[in-house]
Amino acid sequence: MVRLYKKHIPLKNHNNIFLGLIFLLMTVPTQIAHSQQQRFPKPEFQTEYQIPETERPNPRAPFMEYLDLFLLLAVLSLTTWLVLKKRSRKWILWVSVFSLLYFGFYRNGCICSVGSLQNLTLSLFNEGYSVSFTVLAFFVVPLLFALAVGRVFCASACPLGIIQDLVIVKPIKLSPWLQKSLGLFPFIYLGLAVLYAATGTDFIICRFDPFVGIFRMGAEFHMIVLGISFLLIGMFVARPYCRFVCPYGALLKICSLNSKYHLSITPKDCINCKLCKDSCPFDAIDFPTDEKENRASRKDFWKFVFYAALIPVLMFVGGWAVSGSYKLLSSAHPDVYLANLLVSQPELMQNTENLDIETFMSSGKTLEILVEEAKIIQEKFRFGGWFLGAFIGLVIALHLLNQVIFRKRSIYEANRGDCFSCGRCMDYCPVGKPEHPFFKDKPEMVVKS
Amino acid sequence: MLNLDFEQQMNETEKIKRARQIAIIAGVFTAFVGVLLLLNYLQIKKSDPLNSLVLEKLVERLSSEPNNQHFVEEIRQVDLLMRKAYFTSLWQVRTGAYLMLFGAIVLVLSLRVYYSLRFAIDQPSADQIKEKKKRQLTQRWIGFSGALVIILAIMSAFFTMNHLKNYEPKKMLVHSKSDDESIEKVEIVSIRTTEKETDTVIITESTDVEVKQPEVAITQQPKVVVFNEETVKKNHNAFRGSWGNAVSSSTNLPTSWDGATGKNILWKTELPIHGYNSPVIWNEKLFLSSANTSKRVVYCYDRNSGKLLWEREVNNIQGSPATQPKTTEDTGLAAPTLTVDGEKAFAIFGNGDIIAFDLNGNRVWAINLGVPDNHYGHSSSLLTWEKKLFIQYDTHKGSKVMALSTETGKTIWETVRTNEVSWASPILAKIDGKFQLIMLANPNLSGYDITTGKQLWSVDCMSGEVGPSPVYGGGLVYATNEYARMVAVNPKTGEKVWEDNYYLPEVSSPAYHNGYIYIATTFAVVACFEATTGKLLWEFEAKNSFYSSPMIAEGKVWVFDTGGKAYIFESGGESKLISSPELGEKVFSTPVFADGRVYIRGIKHLFCIGVN
Repeated sequence: MVRLYKKHIPLKNHNNIFLGLIFLLMTVPTQIAHSQQQRFPKPEFQTEYQIPETERPNPRAPFMEYLDLFLLLAVLSLTTWLVLKKRSRKWILWVSVFSLLYFGFYRNGCICSVGSLQNLTLSLFNEGYSVSFTVLAFFVVPLLFALAVGRVFCASACPLGIIQDLVIVKPIKLSPWLQKSLGLFPFIYLGLAVLYAATGTDFIICRFDPFVGIFRMGAEFHMIVLGISFLLIGMFVARPYCRFVCPYGALLKICSLNSKYHLSITPKDCINCKLCKDSCPFDAIDFPTDEKENRASRKDFWKFVFYAALIPVLMFVGGWAVSGSYKLLSSAHPDVYLANLLVSQPELMQNTENLDIETFMSSGKTLEILVEEAKIIQEKFRFGGWFLGAFIGLVIALHLLNQVIFRKRSIYEANRGDCFSCGRCMDYCPVGKPEHPFFKDKPEMVVKS
Repeated sequence: MLNLDFEQQMNETEKIKRARQIAIIAGVFTAFVGVLLLLNYLQIKKSDPLNSLVLEKLVERLSSEPNNQHFVEEIRQVDLLMRKAYFTSLWQVRTGAYLMLFGAIVLVLSLRVYYSLRFAIDQPSADQIKEKKKRQLTQRWIGFSGALVIILAIMSAFFTMNHLKNYEPKKMLVHSKSDDESIEKVEIVSIRTTEKETDTVIITESTDVEVKQPEVAITQQPKVVVFNEETVKKNHNAFRGSWGNAVSSSTNLPTSWDGATGKNILWKTELPIHGYNSPVIWNEKLFLSSANTSKRVVYCYDRNSGKLLWEREVNNIQGSPATQPKTTEDTGLAAPTLTVDGEKAFAIFGNGDIIAFDLNGNRVWAINLGVPDNHYGHSSSLLTWEKKLFIQYDTHKGSKVMALSTETGKTIWETVRTNEVSWASPILAKIDGKFQLIMLANPNLSGYDITTGKQLWSVDCMSGEVGPSPVYGGGLVYATNEYARMVAVNPKTGEKVWEDNYYLPEVSSPAYHNGYIYIATTFAVVACFEATTGKLLWEFEAKNSFYSSPMIAEGKVWVFDTGGKAYIFESGGESKLISSPELGEKVFSTPVFADGRVYIRGIKHLFCIGVN
């Protein structure tokens, strides 16, 4: 019974019926074995053998950090040129393969723009914590590029996105209602990540990074399961993590929506041939609008007013609700967790098997002090919960509002928020390409009626 | 032209076929490797050497027979085999994982080729669902999703229990006391009925107990235990009794017993793990420790019944070494005796672990002092006074004395010493109305201020590997060591009063009583000296050598030889052996006295001796 409270035994919790299936498909045991190997105790030698000192690797040299930054800038600049000028999907693909190998497998998924969001947040809320210039640059540079030319970072620099991109086999189209509903989650995740980082609780983006375990060939069991699940789903639902989870993607989306320059499907004037219509595996192509149908009605106007009025209401209700849920949210903080555990079950203070309790007991700190500290943390969550809830309310309201705003569109064009600038659609456009393969080499396969 | 088209068509068909075949082969291969990995993983889990029952049993058997080299060799062999098997499995898993990764990459690539070859652009068609209807549906689902998030947040707000909100330290105090209700009852009853001399152990209502809860206060009155000179004198809270001065205030002690027939043996209990330390007592509880290479344990017994009240394994201490330091068989890892301050019991082990438990077995704090570099093993016992825990930490890599806070384990002061490694224990002596911490090592006998840790005096008077602890009495400090000398030093002046080297103990420490010094040597001699002059007054040849130290109780000198035979002398300038009862078990520890009873730790059992 006591072992249930042990925080460091996640493996058994996942020994369920899915275990076998998942093991058939990927390299999970390696990761588990790897983690077990690290905690394997030294033999109890009873001889004169001197156990050598544990060697610790030196921190990464500053030069190498700047090399990372240089490569990020180079990759983003090159991709920008490939997207806007060269218009070559093939070269974007090869650049992305390089990034996967370098930022993913060589750099083990770290340094990472996605996770840097948390470092930056913690440095803002904790005076004792600071971030290096490289971390700051990794956070800011992709956003600046998104603001200028769209999400080129997602296309060819983010190893998390690229590994999903490469496993796309037969993407299926998702209904807009499903996409938009699931599209709320990255914003909620973003808010939670900021709250947890600001309170010094945890870096949840890193903790639940599904792919870093694959890059490092080592992670906790549930994370490997999560990573494999995303890749399996990603064979048919393209880039599921990027579209429905990634919190940094939410920021990039906002920036990209306001980008000055952006990928265009057609290099000149769109001839509305519709060939690109189904080319995007991410359903990020907006179609020409039907003038007659999309004419705003009086009903639409009142809906707009209603949703606009709903913004402050939802922000308040969201703030109130999430602030009230501080007990649940704060329980992820190790001090709050331990204090709750020991107050609810004081007999566990005698438990010598629980590492957390053992550590606390040997620290000399009293339960009273621990509880006081936990209460302070809970207050932070209660306060921060108002901002998080208001943010969630705002996101819901704006998503609703966006559905009653009609924009005229006469051509097929990439949705600036959702488009990853991967360039697939460009290959489908026959404009300016007399040698277009679908017309020239395989005329019989162009149209399947 | 037609033929060319046909050939091209055939090539495409052939490629699709090949891609499909490769995908199937890669899929089967990946699945097959996956099954093997799964089986290997289960095998690793099953044969986890960290939780090997075989190894555990072998270690248990070794602890009962620590000198059995066959067990040692067997454990090494089994351990090596298990490690080899474990790491081989890891290698297999890693290799298999790379094979599987390769298979998965081929599978994904072949599937991509397969689908891309079969790909054709569908004829663009008009959307079946109108844009407005799509938007309406989307609004509905966004609304549902948003509502779901907010409802979940509200539900968590109402249904999540916040234990901290109702936390009251006072209630927790009462609650934690109630965990050991039966033990407390025994303690209160026995104090009032049998322990006449413990009047000063004040039992009062704690101010922490809430007046609104009379039912709790009546049944479980928390006690305030006064830790002062009077209570320390009436308990046996350290190695060689109060302040380590080898004197007990107990009376009505039995002078005859027989371990073989059970005469006057009130109870005896088997000790699960061996240790050389002596028991200590506070009121009705008796504490001792044991250790082997796999675990270190503190035990608490009811000294009236011999019932084990609690045992606590000493582990999970930051900085504690994974590999235990090498010690000799006659020292081990649990040679130092514990000490008690009336509220907490403190134990130190040969690996540098030091731990505090409250008297109910709740761990209060624990630290590691760093593994002592000591070729026999650390054996210096603990002492406590004025909320400080004193540790003599003389090692090859430097010597020091330190005082830790009994409340938190944090260092209050620490003083570097210039002597060599030693095995002696500190004592406390009241000199000019103030307690001093006195320690012996090679080459000096020194006194320290217990408040600041400042060295007050030091006399270079000793040599060799110092095992016996000093003793204070009659205004002088007495120190001795085999192959060196016995000296009497005036701690006020640092003057050496006398010196002799006729009889010298190796392990056993001297005792002082009414102007006489008593020693027990490894050569099986008990000797008495005049304390003021060092003149040998009498000597007695015993059956076996002495490791146990002589104690003074009820005007008598009590000492056990290593064969388990006790020698009880009348204290004085003439040799008067009162009795020499046999325990029937080897003894290396020093006896403890309380309430007309003698407690002694044998090599395997703990004995309580009293009048039946």
